Amino acid sequence: MTLFWQRLGDAAFALLPTIPYARPEKQACDGEAIVARGLSAGARFDGPAAFLAADFVIPCGCRTALIGPNGSGKTTLLRVLAGLVPPKAGTVLVAGAPPTPGRSRIAYLAQRPQLTEGFPLRLRRLVQMGTYAHHGWFEECRHGEASVDQALARLGLTELADRPVHALSGGQLQRALLARALVQGAEVLLLDEPYAALDAASREIIERFFFDQGHTFTVLMATHDPADLARFDRVLELRAGAVRTRHASSGHDQRDA
Amino acid sequence: MTNVMLDLLLEPLSEPFFVRALLAVALGGVTCACLGAYVVLRRMAFVSTALTHSILPGVVGALLLGFSPYVGALAAALLTAAGAAWLASRKGASEDSAIGVMLSVMFAAGVALMQQANSWRDFAGLLFGSVVAVGPADLRMIALTAAGILFGLRVLHKELELASFDEEYATLLGARPGLMRTLLLVLVALGSVACVSLVGALLTTALFVIPAATGVLLGRTVPQVMAWGVGCALAGGVGGLYLSYYLPAVPSGAGIVLCCALPYLLARIFAPRR
Repeated sequence: MTLFWQRLGDAAFALLPTIPYARPEKQACDGEAIVARGLSAGARFDGPAAFLAADFVIPCGCRTALIGPNGSGKTTLLRVLAGLVPPKAGTVLVAGAPPTPGRSRIAYLAQRPQLTEGFPLRLRRLVQMGTYAHHGWFEECRHGEASVDQALARLGLTELADRPVHALSGGQLQRALLARALVQGAEVLLLDEPYAALDAASREIIERFFFDQGHTFTVLMATHDPADLARFDRVLELRAGAVRTRHASSGHDQRDA
Repeated sequence: MTNVMLDLLLEPLSEPFFVRALLAVALGGVTCACLGAYVVLRRMAFVSTALTHSILPGVVGALLLGFSPYVGALAAALLTAAGAAWLASRKGASEDSAIGVMLSVMFAAGVALMQQANSWRDFAGLLFGSVVAVGPADLRMIALTAAGILFGLRVLHKELELASFDEEYATLLGARPGLMRTLLLVLVALGSVACVSLVGALLTTALFVIPAATGVLLGRTVPQVMAWGVGCALAGGVGGLYLSYYLPAVPSGAGIVLCCALPYLLARIFAPRR
């Protein structure tokens, strides 16, 4: 009987047109991951600008630290690059195109993700949401099971897969959100202080994920930890409305690297 | 003893109006419980109350002007939703008070219109529900609405779940959480219009909130929440109809709501802590 209803449901689904959320983005990143030209933005589109006329380029595969005092616009910059806030002026290209909703190659992790409290959802389903980027409207999740398993294993979450999301610790949740970005097929990871409130074990797993040899991501990570900077390839500094980039090891400033 | 019980259960089934009401309450209960899962999880109980109450001026107005009460009810519910959204769109305005304003204004308009019609008695069924009122045409209407709403919830399941759980990620993926919210409000309006003849304008909101709230106490995933909610709605709906059949003083709406509250209370007491 259940099978009958399932078949009937599947047949009804097959009749519906599938309209993808995102344009298909298949080719791997090469060259420049993020290009900003004369970029000005503020936390709100109609509010004051946090930084003005910023020019910078981040090559593919580059792990960049984003530093600056509180209120200097780190979060705003990340949200502009994610396509959540439109820039006031200037242009920005992320993975070859302007960031708009529906780009599967860009992933953004907020400092405090605004998740509905007490929502009945298991961790596995949360990670599965990453595959929605490759599904369309009206389509039930059919593919991507293997990539979900892989992502869970890579972030050490396999045993927690059936745990309700609201029973996860902060570090476990952060890892789950990274696994979701992995499943989504993101190449450019925009991270807003992912280490805030993490225990050592979660932090180690996340660091291995970012700084592993053979990584495929371009990482732009807002951070307050000066001891951390040596692990990055570059540093992007926001100060008094200006943006400067430098190589993390050399230390000397470099305009428009 | 068993025979007496059986007779008590079977006797009303010989009445065609009772069978119609039973079918209607089953269809309406299932639909409202599934839809209610999102209403409760997204903390939209107050909006659903406003939508169900605003049906009153729509139905009364339609009866006075002489067109279909369904059209009037739906128009009034949509007007409430749009009005609340417009009032809340101004910077610094709270959505909560916008909904409160719309709810009381619409309900006051309904009361004023009822005075125009000059007869409170005719509208008792509209306010509190009446099983006798469900005719064959109403049953068809309820079945059609229920099928449409359940189909909509099924095909948009993953989008609604995503938009309800993580609005920002839904925006990033292009899944339009604003559109999902609007769609959910339209579905709630449709559902409450279908159920208004069963439980009445004042109590329809209970069909959205009580079963789903029971489901939230017991379910670990959205489909589980819906399944528990459906169970609660069916038990409450059928129980309530029998209650109002044997105690004619209890309007069907009140009976159904009281019987739905029982499983909620049990779940609240016995559900495992999470």
